[in-house]
Order: sequence, then structure tokens, then C-alpha cells
Amino acid sequence: MTNWTLFIPELYSLGAAGVFFLFCLCRPDSRRDYGAAMILSALGLFLTVWSVGFQGSLFEGVYRVDLYSQVFKVLIYCGFFLAVCLCADLSGVDESRHSEFYFLLALCTLAMMLLVSCVHLLAIYIALELSSYSLYVLVYLRRGYQKGLESALKYFIMGAASSALMLFGFALVYGTGQSAYLVDLMRDLPGRINEPVVLIGFILALSGFFFKLAVFPFHFWAPDAYEGAPHQVSAYIATASKVAAIAVLIRIIALSGGQSDRLAWFLIVLSVASMTVGNLAAIAQKDLKRLLAFSSVAHAGYVMIGILSLTALGYASAVFYGMSLLVMKFTCFMVVVKASENGRNISTGDLAGLHYRAPVLALALLLALFGLAGIPPTMGFTAKLLIFTAAMKQGLLWLVIAAMFNVVISLYYYLQILKAAYFIEPEGQPPPIVVSTPLKLAAIAMILLMVAGGVYPGPVIDLAGDMTMGLFP
Amino acid sequence: MIVPYTHVMLLGGVLFLLGMICTLTRRNLIMIILGLEIMLNAAAITFVGAGLHLQQIEGQAIALFILAVAAAEVSVGLALVVCIYRQTGTVDPQCIEGNKCQLKPDQTG
Repeated sequence: MTNWTLFIPELYSLGAAGVFFLFCLCRPDSRRDYGAAMILSALGLFLTVWSVGFQGSLFEGVYRVDLYSQVFKVLIYCGFFLAVCLCADLSGVDESRHSEFYFLLALCTLAMMLLVSCVHLLAIYIALELSSYSLYVLVYLRRGYQKGLESALKYFIMGAASSALMLFGFALVYGTGQSAYLVDLMRDLPGRINEPVVLIGFILALSGFFFKLAVFPFHFWAPDAYEGAPHQVSAYIATASKVAAIAVLIRIIALSGGQSDRLAWFLIVLSVASMTVGNLAAIAQKDLKRLLAFSSVAHAGYVMIGILSLTALGYASAVFYGMSLLVMKFTCFMVVVKASENGRNISTGDLAGLHYRAPVLALALLLALFGLAGIPPTMGFTAKLLIFTAAMKQGLLWLVIAAMFNVVISLYYYLQILKAAYFIEPEGQPPPIVVSTPLKLAAIAMILLMVAGGVYPGPVIDLAGDMTMGLFP
Repeated sequence: MIVPYTHVMLLGGVLFLLGMICTLTRRNLIMIILGLEIMLNAAAITFVGAGLHLQQIEGQAIALFILAVAAAEVSVGLALVVCIYRQTGTVDPQCIEGNKCQLKPDQTG
């Protein structure tokens, strides 16, 4: 007997996507679309928060609802809601495509909510594909920007290739693990993870999520997609999509049972490579969105440090890191959206004089960049501390040292942005940035969250710990 | 099963590699998408073989789902290719990247 109450948040998202689909059939009206999107996403956020305590299993055990999945659903819906908050000025997308834009965004959110709950290989694959297809089209929707085409194409080909790799890995895992249920695999795999076929299958199976998280060999799409997509879509990819990727990556890697040195080595190499590549490439970037893309590649490397310690503590710290990334990256993109006129791309220099053009945004940007660089007392510092602690407990001292070197490199370009925002006088008279009251509230909320996460992170750390306890039956 | 599972796995692996080579080396978007399809079908074959080997119906069910998802993927990909051809008049990814060779639609044939 299926208990449909557990499925209400997903059904609601499907309904929301349906509403926007109906809007697609009507005459385009961007004010109506924006209003509906705000109301529907806010309601959905409340609904997901209400459903946090749910426990249970659906559809013959394919779909598991527990604290881990429900908290991640709240985070994903947060990402959706915040991305919609930025859509008041959706000038990067053609007027007649606004309904489609919201429809695809809602559909992608639904797919990610499904993704974090699925515990069956086929269900994971289908949820992942659904979310990717929505994003391919969303990236393409950019108006009046020649590179939009190229970036959508790159995103599509990289995404399709890595999901094919993942599917082949799933086939090998299914053949050797004798089941497609993660629960059964968890019983069988840890003892055999060092067999070549199992290890190859497992590593291939991870590639689809590495793509989503933009880990080193699968990161080539990130700078182009961030640059070519509408700002709101870049914000969505950097927040909600990353959080979902972290969730499912932890779920899959937890299958290995933490026994495999070879797997850990493989992950260490990827982690160090993506940190270094991301940070070194970010230094050379002029376009702010490209810079943020390379910084997310670097952050994917830091997240991997938490995951590759293969312990409950490491997974919990990776979850915490995902939460802090959501807050910090959203704040950065909020500034990008407000600072750009007519939805065009901005460079670091365009932020000049931000501290008197929009003081609240400048303060939020300051804290977000400090957080990304890992300077106390911000949420980002706590997250980095947790991750490095988890790695040290596994005796990975030199990995932590390599990561610290990377943090120092990253300071350079984060402080470059801050220098532009606070110390460089703008040429001529740039128009003041009008920040609407709701967005001001959002900025203040982000500031409070970032400081609270740095000063008093206890409850959130406990929550992350409770979430990951459920992964080990 | 007459054919041993390892042979099916080998067939799947070889097919997968061929698809990957096609995706990586071809200079035509249509052929690249074709290569992606071959990769997906290789995975489907491996799933069917594994299902037979384990005497489970699940492997074949998954292969059916893969067919449907692959069709969706091609439709998204080809829609993208059509849009790109309309705007740039070429299906060569190197030309699209950085607008190195701007061709008129009638020149490409």
C-alpha cells in the first residue's frame, strides 16, 4: 500500500510545473509568470519544510523518504525559490519564453527532488536525465548572446557523454552486485569493491555526478555554461544543482562501505586536480561569471575531500559544505544579477563603487567572498574546518596541506573582486543600483545566515550528522 | 544461457568504446549524437546480458527505459542542432566555437 502523503512535495512540484505548462499555451505575460512563480515556489518551500519529519518507503522500495532526502529537498527548493527571487528582471530571456523558463526550472527542481530520494539505479538515472535535459534547454534560452549557443551545445554533449558513462557503470555494478537496489548493493559491494570489474563499474557510475558537481575531468562545461546561461540559470546551476549532486554522490559513495584504498586514492587525485585547476584558472578570468564557475570547480574539490574520507563525519561535513555553498554562491549571483544592466555579462571591474551604489549588496558580497575563501567568522570557514578535520582524522595530512595551498591561491582572486567593489572608483557616473525591498530582505537574511553559520554552527552540524546517520543501515 | 556473461560484457565494452571514439573524433554534430546513442545502447546490451545472467527481469526492463530516455535525449539534442544550424549555418562544432568560420546556409549544402 503506497502512502501518498510522503509524496506530496513531489506531486506539488509536478502541479507547479503543470501550471507553467498551461501558461506556455496562453499569451505571454511576464508579470503574471513572475507572480505565479513567486507564490508557487514560496508555498512549495513551506511544504517541503513541513515534510521534513517524514519517514518511509514508496514504490516497492525504489523511493526512500528519510531525514537525509527531506532536508536536501528543502535545500533544493530553497535554491529554486531564491533563483525565482532573482527573476524580477528577467531581461536575459526572451519575453515570450518566460513561461517556458519557469516551467523548465520547476521541472528541474522536481527531478532533483526525485533524485535525492531514489535508491534504485534506474530511478537515479531517469531523475538525473530529467534534471539535465531541463538545464540544457535553460542554458540555451539566453537572448542576444552569441556564446549562448556554444555553451548549451558544450553542456549537452558533455552531459550526455558523462551520463552514458554513468549508465555503463551502472550496468557493470548491476551485473556484479546482482541487484539494482542500493540497499542490496550495500550488503554485497563493500566486500568486493577491490575486484577490477566492480571498481571500474563503480568509478564509471560516479562520472555522471562528477559532471553535475563539475569535478576535474568533467568540468569543461562549467565556465561556458555559466557564462552563456541567463544569470538566474547560472545561479540555479551553482546552488540547487550542486546540492543535489552532493546528495546523490554521498549516497552512491556510501555504497563502497569505506573499505577501499584504491577508490580513496582515485578520489584524492580528482579532488586535488579539481582544486588546483579551478583556482589557477580562476585567477586569469575577467568575466565574473566565468570566475565563479572556476571557483565552483575548486569548491567541488573541497567537497570531495569530505566525501573521500569515507566516514560518517566526512559525509556530514560535505553536507554542511553543500549548505554553505548554497548560501554563499547565491549571494554572489544576487550581486551579479543586480549589477548587470539588461542581463549582460559583467566583468570584475563593473563592480567598482558598489559599496556606495548598493551598500547592503556590497556587505553581502564581502561576507560571501570571505566565506568562499574560508575566512572566519563565516559559514564557509566552519565548513572548511569540518572538512579538513574529517580528512585529518583519516590521516590525510598532506591532502589538507595541498588544500590549504589552494585556499591561499583562491584568496587572490576573491580579494580582487572585493578590491573592485570597495576601493576602486568607477569611471564616470554609473547609475545607482536599485535594490527592491524583498531583495534587500533576502540579502540581509543571507548575511545573517552566513554570520550565524560561522558563530553558532552547532545545530546545523548536528542536523548534518543526523542526516548522514540514516545512510548506514 | 549459451553465451557466457563475460562475452556480453566484452561486446558491450567494445561497442561503448566505439561510440566514445565516434563522439570524440567526429566533426559533425549529428555524428556526435549518433556516437552518444551507441554508448547508451552498449549500456543497454550490458544490462540485458546481466539480467539474463542473474535470471532477473529487471535488466531487460531497464533496457526498455534506456530506449525511451535515449529517444528523449536525441530529441533535445537534435532540436539544439537545428537551432544552431539556423543561426550559424553549420553543424561543425569547431566552426561554432568562437565563430571561426561564418558560412552562409546555402554554402554548406
